[in-house]
Amino acid sequence: MTLVMVVDDDQDLAEMLGIVLTGAGIDVDLVSRGDEVMEIFRNNPPDLVLLDVMLPGLDGIEVCKLIRAESMVPIVMLSAKGDTHDIVKGLEAGADDYMIKPFKHPSELVARIRTRLRRANSGLSGQLTVADLAIDLVAHQVTRGGKVIPLTRLEFDLLVALAKEPGRVFTRDALLSEVWGYHHSTDTRLVNVHVQRLRAKVEHDPERPELVVTVRGVGYKAGGSSGS
Amino acid sequence: MISPDSVKDSRFRNSLAFKVIFWAVFLSLGIVWLTESALYAKISDGIRKVKVDSSIAESQSAVFNAQYRLVLSQGSTEKTIQQIIDDVVVNSTTMIGSSVNGREVVLLQSGSNPQSANDYQRTSNLVAPSSIPASLRSLVRKSKKPEWAEITVSYLGGNQIPGLAVGQNITIPKAGNYEMYLVFSLVNQNETLNLVKSSLALAGLVLVLLIGLVMWLVVRQAIKPVQEAARVAEQFTAGDLTQRMKVTSKDEIARLGIAFNEMALSLERQISKLEALSHVQQRFVSDVSHELRTPLTTLRMASEVIHTARDSFDPVIARSTELLVAQLDRFERLLEDLLEVSRFDADVAVLELVEFDLVTLVDRCVLDLTLLATENSVVIERSHENDVVLVRADIRRVERILRNLLSNGIEHSQSHLIRIRIVQSESAVAVGIRDYGIGLDPEDAFRVFDRFWRGDPSRARVKGGTGLGLSIALEDARLHNGELEAWGRPGAGSHFVLTLPRYSGGIIESRLIKLQPEDYLSTSTIEI
Repeated sequence: MTLVMVVDDDQDLAEMLGIVLTGAGIDVDLVSRGDEVMEIFRNNPPDLVLLDVMLPGLDGIEVCKLIRAESMVPIVMLSAKGDTHDIVKGLEAGADDYMIKPFKHPSELVARIRTRLRRANSGLSGQLTVADLAIDLVAHQVTRGGKVIPLTRLEFDLLVALAKEPGRVFTRDALLSEVWGYHHSTDTRLVNVHVQRLRAKVEHDPERPELVVTVRGVGYKAGGSSGS
Repeated sequence: MISPDSVKDSRFRNSLAFKVIFWAVFLSLGIVWLTESALYAKISDGIRKVKVDSSIAESQSAVFNAQYRLVLSQGSTEKTIQQIIDDVVVNSTTMIGSSVNGREVVLLQSGSNPQSANDYQRTSNLVAPSSIPASLRSLVRKSKKPEWAEITVSYLGGNQIPGLAVGQNITIPKAGNYEMYLVFSLVNQNETLNLVKSSLALAGLVLVLLIGLVMWLVVRQAIKPVQEAARVAEQFTAGDLTQRMKVTSKDEIARLGIAFNEMALSLERQISKLEALSHVQQRFVSDVSHELRTPLTTLRMASEVIHTARDSFDPVIARSTELLVAQLDRFERLLEDLLEVSRFDADVAVLELVEFDLVTLVDRCVLDLTLLATENSVVIERSHENDVVLVRADIRRVERILRNLLSNGIEHSQSHLIRIRIVQSESAVAVGIRDYGIGLDPEDAFRVFDRFWRGDPSRARVKGGTGLGLSIALEDARLHNGELEAWGRPGAGSHFVLTLPRYSGGIIESRLIKLQPEDYLSTSTIEI
């Protein structure tokens, strides 16, 4: 059974989230304080964390950083603030995705959680290379010269999406649909922030990216890549 | 082009220093001119008087001498008289040309004399007799005293010099009355006077210049604090409320400074009070909207859970569930729009610029609204001159503008056609959305962008609209330095034109799509 940790200080909402997720066949661990998260997280590691931004004890952004420091578990931020500033802060702290309260449809929340939990590209096998990066699709590992580069599942998916079709330029919308499972979305902040994060991990010089290249006015493509 | 005149004109009007100096120089020029011409008149009179006095004395003695000799020659032959006259003329003459103190003699017959066989008229050194003006001659004839006048001495050779003629009657035996004129040169005096004149002019000019300079220094001294005050006031107006004038003395300027500083302080207090108040209010709206979100999320999820189970309810409860879900949707949209409006009011709305293709975006919006359009039996047509219209803007906001305009058009088009036109130029892009529905009163074309505005208050609100969509669209457009305008005629539909600068920060210079739709005139002619 899949376990999702729901961190929200609003008891009623947390309970409702529990009802909806349980209904969808997902186990739920409810936490209401930010400073209690890490202990529970270590004792009972979840498959995904649903994290509210405003929390008593320790705020969501800080909690997100703490989790990211020791785990690559998918994190979806919940925010009552739709302001770009807060969203970007959450994404930069390591969140894979975010949802703004109220959700358009509660089923959307379940769909997003499932997207994040599904093992993307599970149909693919073998090895891809982008310049001096080796991507092992089976082991879900990226190595450079035998050294493993730790990537979150989302960053891995993003890199694979670009690398499996070398030379193709992906628009931000295409990436949103491919990696995040969004259709008809224009929220390019998700893509921009995660490309930055990915670059920070895999590029030699993130200021002058060579692996994930920006194509001005269109989107991104894998640079110097060759598939195998 | 600005003509030099208008430059001068504006400088004259704009600079107090320039004005003061101009008037100071202008007035002192007048005063200097008046005093100097009086001075010059006095000097020249003095110089002339000395010359005239000495000339009259000289001439009196010469005439007396000549008359004396002529009286003595009474009874002599005409030849002798002739000799005496020649002698008198030559003796009395010293060349004007050679010596500055020289004099000429002119002997002229008085017209009323009895005719004589001999003509004793003489002039020395080829002085033209016409040099003596008729006015002087008639004066001399009537007078017993010597009379004088300033004349121009003409020589037969054509030379002319300024001179002074002193004339007296003289009687020649057997020949009657003659006038004897002694002509003196005024060259010397004139030179002196010219020197005096040019010295005075130079002195006057220097004086005026010095006055101008002194005025400039004084005015600058006086104006500097005024300029400083103006600068402080300008910066204050520009928003720097901490600006204060320096008060260092106790003069009028200092009083201005104190008054200004008091005003500034009171304004600053008022403004910060208002700012705090409006900040609190904006904060409140934003907080309320945020606080409402969490319970709304719970509500939505709960209603969704109930909604999915509605098949097992009895019809009344099932319908109630549907209404609950629909109203929660509407409530959420309203909340979303309110929050957006509060962002605009708080000036925290920011642009996130990306480059994108406007045609693709329009297509996507049309696709998303297909369901709504089909429900309202509206057909959407789209035309564009270019396949790709690239623009750098906040795509979320542009999409929101387009959605708002399109859904507004669909709601009001009454099962007609909607035409979308996309146009681009070097610096701007434009989207025109034309519907052929109920239209608008021309005076309402501005008010459609007002918050919660309703065209006809008695008409029920079209379902789904929050009443904030167009107002948010306008704010979104303005945030891009763009423009959103509406046109409408009752029964002839409406036309919304969105114009955006092609690159953010740019300025739209012209409207790419005319607000009054091109097909409007033809429609009205058909109706007539």
